[in-house]
Amino acid sequence: MRKSRSKRKSNIHLQQPTVNPRDFQFMITKVAVSQICKSVGFRRSRVSALETLTLVATKYLETLVKSAASFSNAASRTQSNILDLTNALHDMSLQVGFMGASTLYDHNNNCLLKSSVLESLSDFVSSTNEIPFAKPIERAKERESEEGNAVPGSFQERGGHIPEWLPRFPDVGGTNENCDKRVYGEQLWENSSSVLGCQIDGFEEKRCGSNNVGKLPKGRSRIKFRVNNGGRTRVGLNGISCNNVFGQSKDEEEAEPVAVCEKSVKSEEKQILVYKRRKKLC
Amino acid sequence: MNHNRQSNDGKHDDDSALSDFLASLMDYTPTIPDELVEHYLAKSGFQCPDVRLIRLVAVATQKFVAEVANDALQHCKARQAAVVKDKREKQQKDKRLILTMDDLSKSLREVGIPVTCSDVLKKNGHAFLFFVFND
Repeated sequence: MRKSRSKRKSNIHLQQPTVNPRDFQFMITKVAVSQICKSVGFRRSRVSALETLTLVATKYLETLVKSAASFSNAASRTQSNILDLTNALHDMSLQVGFMGASTLYDHNNNCLLKSSVLESLSDFVSSTNEIPFAKPIERAKERESEEGNAVPGSFQERGGHIPEWLPRFPDVGGTNENCDKRVYGEQLWENSSSVLGCQIDGFEEKRCGSNNVGKLPKGRSRIKFRVNNGGRTRVGLNGISCNNVFGQSKDEEEAEPVAVCEKSVKSEEKQILVYKRRKKLC
Repeated sequence: MNHNRQSNDGKHDDDSALSDFLASLMDYTPTIPDELVEHYLAKSGFQCPDVRLIRLVAVATQKFVAEVANDALQHCKARQAAVVKDKREKQQKDKRLILTMDDLSKSLREVGIPVTCSDVLKKNGHAFLFFVFND
């Protein structure tokens, strides 16, 4: 028996009231794939062929993304960037072939950003019409941020995977803006000024802005710590000698205790000298 | 020195072309919704805070599916052109461009995915697939 099915996807007939998650995403992908087939020119399709094409599309997407993730992991990164994605696209397109595939790993002339795969993708985007998804999509409503009410370290701040009865994380000052910047000003290519300058107004950034939380409350002068030997005494800041193993001094006032010490030594010496002279006279 | 200057200019051109492309991606809505792509990305371990790369993945998949479907369409039309006898038959068949497993398996084999579907399985409406994907 051969079945044929029309392309109108306005009514998706669910045979079961409860759908597995795997089936659910498969059915959504099937709708998108059938829309693409319709745009190419097909009017009808066999059920088996459509399901096969949907499966192929999902496998392609997953494989592309997995190889991009493994490229980024090989470079000791957790977040993938456009270069990882370009390398993954090259891997997926080697069977079909593309311009410059033979000189991919040539050390002299190799620029990933110049790849023909990306060029063909940009041609595809510019030439084909948009085909929005057939069904309306509910956007996830953004939760209202309750910064005033939320206790720092609560569920909203650190997620549900950490029990609330555990104490807060120590404030390491990691949210400081300077922590994200590199010493020599390196940054991801897609965040560079030349790329961001071409942005349209409707561009959304997923990353939220960082707050200056980690700054010190007040300025602190330079502090030096010295390790003293056990028997030696040192004159402290107030003229009080202390027999500490770890002394603490500030750079600006370092000269003073030494001067005080010298003065007291000199006066002792003078007293001793006077005492000696008197003895001789007698 | 000249070579360096040329390479810098070339890089600048490539940067601007690619940055225009990434900017145009935000205008273009791929057929595969962003949420669905994000689900597959999370399933496979792809972490990226950038929306543009998610759109890029969606567009790449859409292009792939469109190419496969286009190849299948060419196979279907080629088969119809060979069979046409009368004008009436041709018009009828033009309206009935149906995606079949035969055409699809031919086009998938060109991309590197051998698909087999025996007659017994065809009757039941199932397909048996061999996937050869690089991992």
